[in-house]
Amino acid sequence: MLVVLLLAGSVWLARVVSRDRFWRENASQLWRRRPIALITLALFVGIGLMDSIGWVGGGTPGDDDVAALRSRTLIDRLFQPERITESSYSAPLASVSFYGGQPLTHPGRHLLGTDILGRDVVYRTAKGVRVALLIGGFTSLIVIPIALLFGVSAGYFGKRIDDAVFFLMTVLASVPSLLLLIALVMVMGRGTLQVCVALGITGWVHFCRIARGETLKLREAEFVDAARALGVSDLTIIRRHVLPNIAHLIIITFALSFTGLVLAETILSYLGIGLEGSWGQMIDQARNELSRTPIIWWNLTGASLGLFALVLAVNMIADALRDIIDPRTRREGQ
Amino acid sequence: MAAYLIRRTIYGLFTVLGVLLLLFVLFFAVTDPDDIARKAVGERARPEVYALWKKNHGYDRPLLLNRAYAAADSRRYSDTLLFDHYRRMLTFDFGNSDADDSAIARRLKEGMGPSLSLTVPLFALGLVVSVLLALFVAFFRETYIDRAVLVLCMLTMSIASLLYIIGGQYLIGMLLKWFPISGFAFDPYLAGRFLALPVLVGVVAGIGADVRLYRTIFVEESNRDYVRTARAKGCGEARVMLAHVLRNALIPILSNIVITIPFLFTGALLLESFFGIPGLGSLTVEAIQGNDFSTLRTMVYLGALLFIAGQILTDVSYALADPRVRLT
Amino acid sequence: MKLALVRLTSIKAIAVALALAGCSNNPYPAGDRARKILYSSFSEAPKTLDPAVAYTTASHIVTGNVYDTLLEYHFLKRPYELMPALAESVPSAVPHPDGGVSYLFKIRDGILFHADPCFQLSQGDGRSRKVTAADFAFELARLADPTVNSPLAGSFAQVQGFAPFAERLAAMRQADPTFAALPAHEQYQRAGGIAGVIVRNERELEIVLSEAKPQMLYFFAMPFTTPVPWEAVAYYNGQRGREHFADHPVGTGPYRLAVYEKQYRMQLERNETWYGSQAGMPAAPGATFPREIDQQDIVSKQVDGDYAGRRLPFLDRINFVREREDIPRFNKFLQGYYDEGHIIKESFDAVVQNDALSPQMAARGMRLDKTVEPSIFYIGFNMDDPVVGTAAGERGRKLRQAMSLVIDAKAYLELFLNGRGVLAQTPLPPGIFGYDQTYKNPFRQLDLARAQKLLAEAGYRNGLDARTGAPLKLSFDTPNTTAQALLQYQFYVSAWRQLGLDVEINASTYNQFQAKVRRGAYQLFTWGWIADFPDPENFFFLLECGNAQSKSGGPNTANFCNGAFDRLYHEMKSLPNDVRRQGLIKSMLALTEQERPWIELFHNEEYALSHAWVINSKPMGLSYPTYKYMDVDPELRSRLQSEWNVPVRWPLYLALLAIVAVTIPAVRTFYRERQ
Repeated sequence: MLVVLLLAGSVWLARVVSRDRFWRENASQLWRRRPIALITLALFVGIGLMDSIGWVGGGTPGDDDVAALRSRTLIDRLFQPERITESSYSAPLASVSFYGGQPLTHPGRHLLGTDILGRDVVYRTAKGVRVALLIGGFTSLIVIPIALLFGVSAGYFGKRIDDAVFFLMTVLASVPSLLLLIALVMVMGRGTLQVCVALGITGWVHFCRIARGETLKLREAEFVDAARALGVSDLTIIRRHVLPNIAHLIIITFALSFTGLVLAETILSYLGIGLEGSWGQMIDQARNELSRTPIIWWNLTGASLGLFALVLAVNMIADALRDIIDPRTRREGQ
Repeated sequence: MAAYLIRRTIYGLFTVLGVLLLLFVLFFAVTDPDDIARKAVGERARPEVYALWKKNHGYDRPLLLNRAYAAADSRRYSDTLLFDHYRRMLTFDFGNSDADDSAIARRLKEGMGPSLSLTVPLFALGLVVSVLLALFVAFFRETYIDRAVLVLCMLTMSIASLLYIIGGQYLIGMLLKWFPISGFAFDPYLAGRFLALPVLVGVVAGIGADVRLYRTIFVEESNRDYVRTARAKGCGEARVMLAHVLRNALIPILSNIVITIPFLFTGALLLESFFGIPGLGSLTVEAIQGNDFSTLRTMVYLGALLFIAGQILTDVSYALADPRVRLT
Repeated sequence: MKLALVRLTSIKAIAVALALAGCSNNPYPAGDRARKILYSSFSEAPKTLDPAVAYTTASHIVTGNVYDTLLEYHFLKRPYELMPALAESVPSAVPHPDGGVSYLFKIRDGILFHADPCFQLSQGDGRSRKVTAADFAFELARLADPTVNSPLAGSFAQVQGFAPFAERLAAMRQADPTFAALPAHEQYQRAGGIAGVIVRNERELEIVLSEAKPQMLYFFAMPFTTPVPWEAVAYYNGQRGREHFADHPVGTGPYRLAVYEKQYRMQLERNETWYGSQAGMPAAPGATFPREIDQQDIVSKQVDGDYAGRRLPFLDRINFVREREDIPRFNKFLQGYYDEGHIIKESFDAVVQNDALSPQMAARGMRLDKTVEPSIFYIGFNMDDPVVGTAAGERGRKLRQAMSLVIDAKAYLELFLNGRGVLAQTPLPPGIFGYDQTYKNPFRQLDLARAQKLLAEAGYRNGLDARTGAPLKLSFDTPNTTAQALLQYQFYVSAWRQLGLDVEINASTYNQFQAKVRRGAYQLFTWGWIADFPDPENFFFLLECGNAQSKSGGPNTANFCNGAFDRLYHEMKSLPNDVRRQGLIKSMLALTEQERPWIELFHNEEYALSHAWVINSKPMGLSYPTYKYMDVDPELRSRLQSEWNVPVRWPLYLALLAIVAVTIPAVRTFYRERQ
């Protein structure tokens, strides 16, 4: 369901981008500036999508009944965690177990070793991709429509609506976001949906403020005035003139808040309210393993690298996007 | 100016009332006081113990309106959780912790010292180092140093703060033995020893974003006309940077950091918790882990209060620093 | 070059400051180094220090030192043996014609409470006063008082008039608000006290039980029955800036609480007025180091023979620092900054090799003391559940048996506890009467084939319900939401998955978990129990129907209710350790073996470590502190600490060098370009 929605959304986005000259130019400029970051991001999104498409049955030969009965995603089918697991820790590409030195059932197959329960670390890291994208992406799906609705209507209609929205924003923004997040999760309970909703409630204010500010400026713009004079309805003006002109800001803000959300989840995990299977949880589980002798580093490395690569890629893209779109910094670059 | 200040403060007050309403919905309307009581006195306790606990912590009253009392005495109509919540928070009467009955006000007082002794050096050192580094980078802008530092900043920004702490503790505390791994002391000489590591880790973890921001400000400033004039007059680049750019860039930098000053009081959540510093950050983490709603409520409220205060401060300092800002 | 110079000097200044502060990582003031101070740590802040309520290890390290008890366990003798402490002798039961028994405690002379301002309520000078039998009676009344909420109230039910007193008290409070506002001791007086607690005179206390209960004496070795001055309870009521009694203990013990910042540190200082330290007092068993010392204890250096017969205590101060995280705590122990420590799983392989200390650690003079705790860790089924519980009849039993057959407790111990523990076959741990070393529980041996067969018989072949064809889904509930704990639950879940069972882990916040427990909406859980006293009753009561969570909110979280088991339990409970009791225990164990309300996992084995300078570190096993027997050698400690903590400086110099090396060419190119 979610996958279909996401796919439809990206197709629509691709069409818009290819039709509009401004966006097409920017996209190609972005591609020229940050090819590696874009490829990395595409890779992550690919893994996330592969991990979202799952069905029951159709197991490979050798699977037992249990695995065949559960819904498994493409990633699960690729790694086959039911079959390819060890009894406990093993070092990257090792052929014997870390403690005791017994031969492994799948020597040399674990690129980043296995964790305490013998699960492949690469597999676990790959599973974390979807969770991270969910945190950043799914939350934004909740946030952006709400923020746009409130922000644009406040900025466009002004007066009472603006006062009310602005007050709501001030109140929500006044509460330190991490604390509000924690309080929300504690009160609503744990779970993917709850955490995402909590992240959404704390996150929409930022979007909303930007949408409101831009709309305020646009409302006074000449072409909006002209449209209004021609008797175009408010809704149409918003759709045709306001929304397209704040889209770029929304994208940049989205990219920045995406990294913030993914990083914030590690703190939630440390506090025991993170999402199951996330990189934050992997880091939390692995942090004490540094004290083992000999040191076990691959669990921490797997999750940290995944997190680092994703956040870095998004950060780079956001940075480049800002340079490309924001006229102020563009001028300064020359 | 005075009128502006008053108007700003009144708006801030309304915001505080709004925050309190939000907290009320979160902590009273959604959370069941019975669950809090059960957690506090244990599952095996007898009903009268629950009742006593709820009475002592004020959870025994109705939520919004007290109809039962109102019949006898109309003044007691407001003897409810909602009014009590407002009254107590606004008078800073925080009551006792839900987890262990200790007075929250005392815990706040005890935690303030350790928190400040971590956050103030962290803030000061972080500011000095990042401004110096940003100045340095802006000085060498468009050279390999500039690019290298910017990339480095981006890298440091992409690492989870948890990893800095884990790494710092492991490397410096355990392998190199420069400082104690964790802990705290009130004795100033010992305290320095304990605080060195968390301050170092905190500075490194936060420096990336700051340096990038300050560099942008410096570069923007150094492209202005008056700087060009100064250069044309033959001022040395170093003198231009220090005398002109730094001084003029300080205004945006300062107004950027004024907002963070109040938060020095609430401590650093992760640093305090990992390094065993008994400050307000640790208090918050413990309240989270121990389901101590009354303490968490207080911390959220104080955080919001400080933020609002910081905003007023920022607006005022803007107005003072830049006469062009219209006081509307 | 001016700017670069500024930068370099500032870096240098920071580096010098770091180097100066980093001269040492010693966390203690230099002045304390020569003193007899024991440095230890605690992880959870004690919730309360009220001796009637405190029930956790964290509280007992304080209450066990600050409060004395009538009886104590002998420091060295195993199996555990009671000896007199505040009492002059261990009393014997005097049978009554009506089937009850009584114990007469004769209390030592000259026992003083710690000097405390609360005594201004009775003495004018507010210093201290002598302990009388009434102080013991007061504490026993507090145990009965429903608002004190003592977790042990149920264990004193056999004391005559215990429950009626509680009811009387509650009724009088309900009826009369002015009565409820009186100080506790006046309320108890007016309610008439407990009939079976008789204060004969200042130094004689008689306890009358309605039926024989030999285990009762153990309770007089727990801080629950310590003398408490009524002044302290009345004075420390949390009003007018005074603390709560739960945060301000006033006792008679060898140490008094000097610093109590429970989130951060606690300090116990030697009590100069302790009955054992007073000049002219005859040597009491509770205040003298045992004279007869086992040669084995001396050879293993757990006990120093020279201390035989010396007056206790030896330490001037005990310093506890809060350590929330295991790893820093253990590393500070390794650096020598904590005197004692417990082994943690991450460092096990560095410290222990072939079941003994590694050569490196042994060379440091460290000692390893292993004790199997009287404890049991288990997975429980909710017997009220329609699928896994009693209602499912034979199907449910076979399902439980099948699930029990695939849990590899040995692998669990290896993975998560480095194998520190004894595999459990029954609820009873070693060292408890009724434990049978040769017994092997047929349902606690790994047997996948048999489990699959049993599961098929239960109607869930390969985890599919034979009637509906749908996969059987079970839920494993836990209030522990940390990522670390999740790993352990995943271990069990993957074991059951071999059978085709689909068990989902439900880690919920405490509130959600509570709601589930109240609704009875849980199926599987894990739990652990550490004995309060060495008796089988203290384990079997966890399975008695009257203690069921669903019926009385008791500790029987499995809600196991079995008529036959309860009959055997009530018969076994108050018997002395004889053949008849053994027979009854055997029948009870046979019942739990078949019924499987629990999957018994292991009995925890504690690996306690202590440094060479710690003397008399023999552990007790039960959760009783033995600090009054311990001593330290501060000189040796100071020397070894500085030997072990030489900072490694070269990376600092290297980093400085690197910064300079990177900066200089930049400055040079820059100036070349500009000029």
